[in-house]
Amino acid sequence: MSSPITNAQANPAQAGRGEIGSRDAVGSTLINHWQRGVPVYREPVVTPSLIFFGVLAVLGLVLAAVRFFSPLGPFSGMNDAYAWGIWKTFNVMTLTALGSGPLAVGIAAWVFNRRKLHVVMRTALVSGFLFYATGLFALGFDVGRPWNFYSFVLPWRWNGESAMLEISICMPLYCAVFLLFENLPLILERYYYTGTDQTQAVLRGIAPFLRKIYPFVIVGAYVLPLMHQSSLGGLLLLAGNKINPLWQTPFLPLLYLLAAGLCGLGFVIFLLLVAGLRYSRPLDLDVLGELGNLLSCACFLFLAVRAGDLLWRGQVHAAFAFDDMSVLFLVETALVLIPAFVLRMKTARETPRTMLKMATLACLGGMFYRFIPTTIAFIPAHRARYFPALPEVLMAIGYISLGIVGFALAVKYFAVLPGDIKDWNHMFRSAPWRRPMAQAGPSGQPVQSGKSDFEGEPRWPVSLSTR
Amino acid sequence: MSAANVANESSLHPGGFHASAPRGISRRQALLGIVGLGGTITGLAAPALGSEHPEHPVAAPDAVSMLYDNTICTGCKACMPACNEANGLPPDTLQTGGLWDMPADLNSKTKNIIKLYQEPEGPSFAYVKRQCMHCLDPACVTGCPFGSLKKSDFGAVTWNSSLCIGCRYCEVACPFDVPKFEWDKWNPKIVKCEFCYDRLQKNEQPACTAVCPTGAVIFGKRTDLLAQGKERVAAAPGKYFENRVYGEHEAGGTQVLYLSNVAFSKIGLPTLGSSSLGHYATKVTAVIYKWLSGPMLVAGLFGVVIKKNWNRHEAEGAEKEKETGLREQL
Repeated sequence: MSSPITNAQANPAQAGRGEIGSRDAVGSTLINHWQRGVPVYREPVVTPSLIFFGVLAVLGLVLAAVRFFSPLGPFSGMNDAYAWGIWKTFNVMTLTALGSGPLAVGIAAWVFNRRKLHVVMRTALVSGFLFYATGLFALGFDVGRPWNFYSFVLPWRWNGESAMLEISICMPLYCAVFLLFENLPLILERYYYTGTDQTQAVLRGIAPFLRKIYPFVIVGAYVLPLMHQSSLGGLLLLAGNKINPLWQTPFLPLLYLLAAGLCGLGFVIFLLLVAGLRYSRPLDLDVLGELGNLLSCACFLFLAVRAGDLLWRGQVHAAFAFDDMSVLFLVETALVLIPAFVLRMKTARETPRTMLKMATLACLGGMFYRFIPTTIAFIPAHRARYFPALPEVLMAIGYISLGIVGFALAVKYFAVLPGDIKDWNHMFRSAPWRRPMAQAGPSGQPVQSGKSDFEGEPRWPVSLSTR
Repeated sequence: MSAANVANESSLHPGGFHASAPRGISRRQALLGIVGLGGTITGLAAPALGSEHPEHPVAAPDAVSMLYDNTICTGCKACMPACNEANGLPPDTLQTGGLWDMPADLNSKTKNIIKLYQEPEGPSFAYVKRQCMHCLDPACVTGCPFGSLKKSDFGAVTWNSSLCIGCRYCEVACPFDVPKFEWDKWNPKIVKCEFCYDRLQKNEQPACTAVCPTGAVIFGKRTDLLAQGKERVAAAPGKYFENRVYGEHEAGGTQVLYLSNVAFSKIGLPTLGSSSLGHYATKVTAVIYKWLSGPMLVAGLFGVVIKKNWNRHEAEGAEKEKETGLREQL
């Protein structure tokens, strides 16, 4: 595919190919365009790819529904030796690393004050929420006795030393309370701009409250994933020497957390570039370069701990034994090592194509690290093999497709993807079931109506009401 | 930030809801919020925290034991139907076309099994009886999120159906691959030897030891049986593999003890270190999560820094709003 990105690279004058970018009189489309979230408009909501993923999602959900009334056996290739299948090891333990963007970017933006990154927070938050929600969904149909899960509200039943307890409480809490709260502004914003006067009055009333508690809530939104992302690695400690010594280490929790950090950063870069390509959005290489820089640092940090751990445990020889596990380890390490070095170069961070490749490699490396010890390097005492059954794979694909459909809809109905401020007039397409109110002010005219959180912003433009 | 900056910030927000109060109060509010949040979580989690895992656990005074000696076992398998009967388990007839009980290994219908090991060359062979090892510090109990598996009286590791969520972490954690899951049931149970816990409570010994005709597996206190095992080893040096009792130290020690004339690994007993898995898995987290001090410390640090950055971000947002007429998004 000849992309707008490469066109822009070759010839900035053509950048954007008549889309948003070409209306830019100020300068290159590649510099500093991202100022706030803007919905994708001028694009049909229902596209062939949306239907494709929608069908996969529906298939997965139907199978999940059937699974609820059926034993686990016929739905999975799991057995007593490999008691955890891809629903846990891939959908949860691997993919929530990609969904750690809100954690990684959020800490960079709010704690380490990388202010440029605030504009990409919504992309990270929506994708992170979808990864977590679909992962937890997978978990709900993976456990054998879900009706006993009500124990999570009875603290006296908690086994406080179990990493599984930490995860089974912390993860749903994070997703349902903290991630949802962080995503609330972009949902309410839509209702504000498309709502009636009463809706707007209500939202104007609660906005100050949300802003007041926001900084406190995001503290929890960073502490909780730090806990459960490391606990996911902590789960594997109890498996002891069932896991190959290249991966079984007391540093598993820390390494799992660092892998979540690099996957989170990598996936936000990946998603921004892919979405930019897909929806012909001009890129902001200043912001992307900052993310690339952080990704490189995260990769180096991960590799340093990984290498230090192998040295400390005297397992370096196993890493270079060139047997199956050693090759797996070397591939995994190379996938992280390449972006770590390449992204140190400024020219690489200024080339979207290179950034996309490096972000993909880093994500794969992190996913390899998270997945391998759960399944491939997991060798139970009794000889057994595990390969996911067809319904198991279809359900796993269904959950992922559900996330993709969710994201494709979110970017069109909500102001998720970063864009230029002058696109603000074209915001918010109407939901098919609710037409926007015609009583909105004239297009582009700020409406002066009392003190509001959104004071001075233009209302819904009438000219676009049929979109 | 200096007082000048505070004043400046406030002036950017006439009637604003944030940063209009003096900074001291907002910082105090931040700290109060953090302490409140942390306190709530601690209060919730406190009852569940506090258990410790020594690297080399010591058996409880009432710990019972089984000693299995494969030089005595004749492979009559009398213990298997006795176990099925005592536990109400159905026969596993998969390999016999529905005719008689012949499990291939421990499974969701089999809590106890006699297996045969045959040397690849030569006529020598050895039996092994497999069931739960009843570890002194069981990994399954450490991992079980809601305490469905627990170390009960006599040191028996028992399973409680009303607490189990079916996460199967016990199967992943158990170094002996003992707990089994009913993959073919809609309401699946974890199936494992529970040392005939109901019989122990009635002062009876487990069904398998009660029925064993040769005394290959015997029941008693762990201290007594460990001493007896060591006596047998001492009485016949070279008879038993490594001249030792398997289970004395494995994974921190188990309540089921083995004597074998072939290598333990050959009869399916894994080679394990002497420290408990629970110790290995919790030694770091026990410190970090002690009264949730680690998370609360991080929350406190983050809280102070985020509040500071938040105020600055809001001020900048307000400035931008003047330029563009658009409120800064969250």
